[in-house]
Amino acid sequence: MILHIDMDAFFASIEQAVNPRLKNKPLIVGSRNNKMHTVVCAASYEAKALGIDSGMPTKEAFALCPHLEFVPADQTKYIWTSEQIFGVIKESGFTAFYSSIDEFQLDIKEAADPAGIASRIREDINRSFGITASIGIAKNCLLAKLASKLRKPDGLFLIDEDNIKKALAETPAARLCGIGPRTQEALSALGVKTCLDLYSQTPQLLERVFGANGLNLYAGLHSNETLPEDNHADNRPKSIGHSYSFPRASENTGFINAWIRLLSEMVARRLRAHDLTARTVHLWLNGPQIGGFSAQKTFQEPSQDASELYARTLRIMAKIGQKHPKIRALGVTASSLETPKYPALFREAKRREELIRSLDKINGRFGEDTIFPSQIMLTRKIR
Amino acid sequence: MKPKGFNPHARWDRHIPQGGAPQDSGLVNERIEVLALFRQAKIYPRLFIWRDKIYRIRRLNYNWQERRGRELINFFSVDTGSDLYQISFNNETSGWRIDKII
Repeated sequence: MILHIDMDAFFASIEQAVNPRLKNKPLIVGSRNNKMHTVVCAASYEAKALGIDSGMPTKEAFALCPHLEFVPADQTKYIWTSEQIFGVIKESGFTAFYSSIDEFQLDIKEAADPAGIASRIREDINRSFGITASIGIAKNCLLAKLASKLRKPDGLFLIDEDNIKKALAETPAARLCGIGPRTQEALSALGVKTCLDLYSQTPQLLERVFGANGLNLYAGLHSNETLPEDNHADNRPKSIGHSYSFPRASENTGFINAWIRLLSEMVARRLRAHDLTARTVHLWLNGPQIGGFSAQKTFQEPSQDASELYARTLRIMAKIGQKHPKIRALGVTASSLETPKYPALFREAKRREELIRSLDKINGRFGEDTIFPSQIMLTRKIR
Repeated sequence: MKPKGFNPHARWDRHIPQGGAPQDSGLVNERIEVLALFRQAKIYPRLFIWRDKIYRIRRLNYNWQERRGRELINFFSVDTGSDLYQISFNNETSGWRIDKII
């Protein structure tokens, strides 16, 4: 059996624990300080009841509820709490899986009392952090996740052979993870309205309509799943990327380039932390004139040097063909990753490597933003 | 195939400088003296002295940590009965600060 542990309104609940005066109030956590120019990245259940949810521009949220409480996101707090919760979950002794910052899975195999285990985990989390979690239990991850949604917040729901048909018959297919609007449309055409309708379809039919995804969906619904014993066995990433959205579109080349430099620095720092180099650099941009632009280039010489990644990214950017395009969001990703094979040959390259090593040492000792290229200051100065 | 687990260390915000002036009007960032209990690798602040005034901590609402290079900062949200404060302890310097009035 799989336990899916889903934290309830995670960021908002933590902020309510930090400041109990915010409890039982409609609260949103914004991704930036500027409360009218950001998006909701979490909403308390009181705010959700007013129709406010993640992804909504804060302007819209305040239009719905002018007395909404606002707190800017503090990732440090959320990541620390998430890691501590994962620690609590692992203490159960079963195989645990870190799904996302606020979702965890536990493979309890054939344990005798799944609901008892889930209750103890919920109590431990609530006692240690003052926040609540909803837990779903089922034979596989997909159904366990669905079960966790069905009794939110602070709920516990077990789907087993005795109640599976009833539980699925009462749940619209759209609530199942992975069923988006297009899939929902295709399912409606098949007459599939509830999860039970979907559960009753044959793998052949699902494959005919959705291809390989249909088969995966069938397996996801019907399989008896187990989690791998060590899901961090191969911890090496296939790609490393960072992206950022501006509060508003900008055509200031200095500002945009500074952000590309910053994202390149972040990518390169993580490459070096994994002792990897990248051959391929991928850039994506989004703006009102260019729409979504995405291009990548593979270079002969792999690199883990941020200034080199930055120079390569600028070469890709030149492909847009516009001098000063308005940009709203951008991302830099490095792929074709490999371990460094040869030491630097020439004196200049050796000096550069030594410099980077020294900079990493300084940032490792005093904190990540201690020393950085001055160009990055432009991310703060101009818009 | 099962996707790889979430990696909380792949932080997206670690290097991102916060632009513009902070909108948080409660920011203080001053040194304080704190009477605290250190027990079983946990810290329990009991009272603090800020600008020559003693503040007794009635309730520890929440605590969390942040690593900045070699420094480990322990943050606490504390309730003195009349107000809420965020105070922090730096393991490297063994210094306490009042960060803000919440």
